[in-house]
Amino acid sequence: MFHIGILQLTQNLDDAVRGFKQGLKELAVEADFHYFNADGNVSELPKLAQKLADLKVDLIFACSTPAAKAAGNLVVDIPVLFTPVFDPISVNLVDSLELPGGKLTGMSGMVNAEDKVNFIQELLPNAKKLGMLYYTEDSNSLIEANNFRNAVSDKFTLSELTIKCKEDISLLAETLPQDIDALFLPIGRIIEENFASIAYYADAIDVPIITSHAPNVVLGSLGALVANHVTLGKACAKQAHQILVEGKDVKTISVGITDKPEILLNAFVADNLGIEIPDSLLAKATEVYE
Amino acid sequence: MLLTRKSVELLAPVGTWEVLEVAIAAGADAVYLGGKRFNMRMHRTDTNFDDKMLKQAIEYAHAHNVKLYITINNLLSDREIEPMRDYLTYLETIQPDALLVQDLAVLELVKELHITIPLHTSVMMNTHNEHAIHKLKEYGITRIVVGREMTLPQLSLFRERTGIEVEYFMHGDMCISQSGQCYHSGILFGQSGNRGRCLKPCRWAFKLIDEDTKEVLDENGPGPYKLALKDMCMYRNIPELIQAGVHSFKIEGRMRTAAFVERIVKTYRKAIDSYIADPAGYVTNEADWQDLYENRSRDFSTCFALGKPDASAIGFTGEREPRFFSQAVKEASIDSMVTMKDTKQAITIADTYKPKLSVRVADMASLKSACENGASVVYVGGEAFKPHKTWTLDDIKEALIITKKYNAKLIITTPRATMERECSELEQLFTALNKIKPDGVMVSNMGSLNLAKKFTSLPIQTDFSFNTFNHLAAKLLKDNGSVMATTSLEATYTQIKELLSTSQLPIEIIVHGSIEAMLLDHNLPAMSLDYNPLENPDMCNKHFALLDTANEIHPIRIDQYGRNHILFAKDLCLLPYLANLAGAASYRIEAQHYTPELVSILTKTYREELDKLTTDFQTYQYDKTIAEKIAKVSPRELGVGAFRYRISR
Repeated sequence: MFHIGILQLTQNLDDAVRGFKQGLKELAVEADFHYFNADGNVSELPKLAQKLADLKVDLIFACSTPAAKAAGNLVVDIPVLFTPVFDPISVNLVDSLELPGGKLTGMSGMVNAEDKVNFIQELLPNAKKLGMLYYTEDSNSLIEANNFRNAVSDKFTLSELTIKCKEDISLLAETLPQDIDALFLPIGRIIEENFASIAYYADAIDVPIITSHAPNVVLGSLGALVANHVTLGKACAKQAHQILVEGKDVKTISVGITDKPEILLNAFVADNLGIEIPDSLLAKATEVYE
Repeated sequence: MLLTRKSVELLAPVGTWEVLEVAIAAGADAVYLGGKRFNMRMHRTDTNFDDKMLKQAIEYAHAHNVKLYITINNLLSDREIEPMRDYLTYLETIQPDALLVQDLAVLELVKELHITIPLHTSVMMNTHNEHAIHKLKEYGITRIVVGREMTLPQLSLFRERTGIEVEYFMHGDMCISQSGQCYHSGILFGQSGNRGRCLKPCRWAFKLIDEDTKEVLDENGPGPYKLALKDMCMYRNIPELIQAGVHSFKIEGRMRTAAFVERIVKTYRKAIDSYIADPAGYVTNEADWQDLYENRSRDFSTCFALGKPDASAIGFTGEREPRFFSQAVKEASIDSMVTMKDTKQAITIADTYKPKLSVRVADMASLKSACENGASVVYVGGEAFKPHKTWTLDDIKEALIITKKYNAKLIITTPRATMERECSELEQLFTALNKIKPDGVMVSNMGSLNLAKKFTSLPIQTDFSFNTFNHLAAKLLKDNGSVMATTSLEATYTQIKELLSTSQLPIEIIVHGSIEAMLLDHNLPAMSLDYNPLENPDMCNKHFALLDTANEIHPIRIDQYGRNHILFAKDLCLLPYLANLAGAASYRIEAQHYTPELVSILTKTYREELDKLTTDFQTYQYDKTIAEKIAKVSPRELGVGAFRYRISR
């Protein structure tokens, strides 16, 4: 019987935890869980991580980048598995994806920017100009914005918009370009949480939104190409098996990345905007919301 | 009466199978959860149970001697009535221990389908007086989840006077607005708080300003999150709660994780058991309290349980807000209505169709303006927004002379919230009105409807606060003596059209005026500026407003009971869409926040349009410049409210 600590930032990440537990069950790893959820409060995470250390757990499963940082900063050497961390290198969790080099590894939540660009092209073949809205204080958002910018190259004209605090979203009516064919939202909590207000303004000028956050599709985004959190959690369970059962050294276990991102579409939104979703995409989609 | 283990029920929220197992293991006596269909937690589909899982959940709960309640507390459009029939029929076969209901239509359907499952009313039914409880009991309700504004002594009174079982939210996330009376998310985003999709405008940042001068008043105030109510926590007041006669101790949070629910259930279980075993010897377990406190989400408050809360109930800094659901946005302007897909569909009206034009006014001068300019009905009474005066019996007599002279009808309205004080006043008012003989009364909740029926023989209308969306809810109101229902302010064009074609009860539509987003029992300016309203009556006459981050200004109006009404920044104007809305019995202008001059202009304009429309419907054309003229003289910009959306969800 292993003792596994789970450190979660928000309930948005429940699916990853569920996948992790399911995965362990499938691999017959017997464990009891010590579970802490900061309920959105980043500053609580170090305290909660310390509690897990005090409980002398064998491994910590850390959901989100701040949770991974908090678990990684513990003085004691408890192996940490993280997901979904967008870019673990830039936030100094690992040396490289192939050879993490420390006590942390896990699954990146990243979906290749090229794949996202191709997805948008397939979904909106006539689109020429894209808007991209992101929050400048979120390192993951900045990385994805940069990746996307590079991937777009000459396939679209890109018009970038940034917000510096969540209240800036209120003023999008004035800043959102009227001539964009779609609005792309890189990952990032502030944008994802307040999605309804962004959709409100995009709706007013009939602009479809391509999000990077699965729950936003139900709430009114036209579509998204995302890493499935349950699958990420399951992949982490495999890594946990390697560490706990096979006795492999964490620093040699590569950080994984999803090879099969999922397509999510919202048919109600498409209908409202008079957009016809190509059959090819409908056939490939994991979920089409009505 | 001596306490036993059965005196109190600890009721836990369940969103997933994992939480179900954990809550039961932790000691819940009962759990509540929603199906995939019709319930109040529609944001996250993964936290609801499908039909098969519902059945398994009931079996699991019963095997552990735990009761299971299913929430179907949602408002229904007419198109949702048939699916609800199917759902209720299914639920009857799996027999949960109770259904939690909100829409009056469900009460009708339960009767029609001979459903045998006990019924509890949802907090969204805003039950806050004994007269409502008496009426609900007639429909087979065995338990009420009372409004969050109730104090413990009020709950004791309910139990003594009605014998009803009381369920009370005693831990978790709370609404600052009266339950079921918050329209902010529904009208602004088309995602209704009354349908489990609230985007929580109450968690936005605001500045408190002087509405007239626009001066910011709270630069040195406690913080911008003025509506951000702290979480309810009654852990330190278990004895008071039990002794008040509250039967079911409800924990909020069907979207919560297993660990979160487990800790709360365990902690309360221990405290309740310990109190019941030895009430006189009971003391709060400080270690358990510490654990509960350290693992809290927001800070804690006892809200209304021990008396009207002050500023300490608000988390002004926003530091402990777990997450946000939206940011303020500019409200929909008059030309932002959704395309009406069925405009070409021929609307036919009878030659005899003569809809009424009604106007709700604040003072005698406005009443005269309305009458002089063609109002068929004038509403007076109910909430008087300071500095306006309340309507005395003498005022009503005088008003009646004026309306008679102009061949208009006078209807006396009543407040939206009627607790003991207001109910007692209503008994007296209705009795007096029997002699004065105005043309009718309008009531705002089930309790005041019941009272009106008992104390007066005047015709009774029901106001928007009944949240009427469908013909079955209208039928229930009709059966209980209503002669006309007002549609919900959240209803969209499509939903209103459906209701007009199906309702047996004449329908009134609010087409113009200042619309209320929230109704609060808190005094917002006093909480931000730290003064005692009783010692500073002049402050209540001032016009305060909340400025949001989209720079929209929401006026705060304070009524004679001290309640705060937060208005939308834009006033509703459906003038351009009158022809599409043909078929209603009456069209209403909510003009209680307007000057007599504006009342004249509006009444005259709407009267002319309605006359043109009914004279020759086929050739009627709306002239865009008319609303532009109105906009120029209105105190606020004009908007379309819920009409921005195809469907209110």
